[in-house]
Amino acid sequence: MKEEIQRKVFDYLSKNGIENFVGVPDSTLKYFVDQGLKKKTVMIATREEEAIGIATGMSLSKSPSLVFMQNAGFANSLSTITSLVELYQIPLIFLIGWRGYLKNDAPEHAKIGAIQSKLIDALGLESQILADRNWKKSCNWALSKIRSKKFCVLVIRREFVD
Amino acid sequence: MLIRRKAIEIVAKSLDSKDIAVSANGFISRDLHEVHDRKSNFYMIGSMGLASSIGLGLALKKPSKRIYVFDGDGNILMNLGSLVTIGSEKPKNLVHVVFDNSSHESTGGQPTNSASVKIDELAKASNYRVFKTYTKVKLEQILKKIKSQRGPILLLVKVERNKYVSKRIEIEPTLIKTRFMKAVSS
Repeated sequence: MKEEIQRKVFDYLSKNGIENFVGVPDSTLKYFVDQGLKKKTVMIATREEEAIGIATGMSLSKSPSLVFMQNAGFANSLSTITSLVELYQIPLIFLIGWRGYLKNDAPEHAKIGAIQSKLIDALGLESQILADRNWKKSCNWALSKIRSKKFCVLVIRREFVD
Repeated sequence: MLIRRKAIEIVAKSLDSKDIAVSANGFISRDLHEVHDRKSNFYMIGSMGLASSIGLGLALKKPSKRIYVFDGDGNILMNLGSLVTIGSEKPKNLVHVVFDNSSHESTGGQPTNSASVKIDELAKASNYRVFKTYTKVKLEQILKKIKSQRGPILLLVKVERNKYVSKRIEIEPTLIKTRFMKAVSS
């Protein structure tokens, strides 16, 4: 996703009620996170499960929250999602960088990239892909989920190899 | 030395009515529920390790309330990064109580490494104000004293293992959440 769009996505979610952005950085989401760091509304956690815990505390205080992570961190978080977020029905937006989306991505991204969509489905999480053309529509979808006290996933594909 | 359930009761009953509690999974949540159930207790029955992180999120968003985390040694050892994040955010209203029996008592008493590595020293290095005790008298003194002190505070309570097992919490998780959110919103 283009730098300009990532920054717009951050600003749009921020303006429309998301008060907290907690997570672990991903180069796929670099400009999104950077926009939040500039505005001092991003908190970097040590692990993704920790980020989900912090965001849950914020959500229990009625402060709408988003958790961002790589898909490696999404894999780390499976038990936290099932035994905290889903068990208690905690409203949260997960923003996940889809590493291994391209076939020629780094070898450590290949397997998780191949099974990411299946994992999201297996967990029963509703998700949408956030892309340059439809970003506002997907953001509005996620915002409507949060407003109706639900959790959901937005995915940004890694469309480059570095 | 105190047993965990008694130590939890002493801490729980020292809380003011407006204080918020978050408790770790396993026997700690069960004990808290049995000795002092309140609507403003958030019983975390899964997601081992994350009680202090949930407590941090609450502390940052509810600056006018005191948040007490009822944690265990096995729990905090599973999420040591939480000490670093809490020590960086420095919430003044967070009291992190660790009931330390150097074992995973809920799963049969297997050992943790809190007997050889000091959790209080780790917390000190992470910008916490630290207190430590293993007696009832000193625990009660510390609980009074910390009411007027700035957090983040770590209170390490060394406890003995004991055969008594509190009953499972039978409140539906979503009800634990909704009654908690209602109770802490005022």
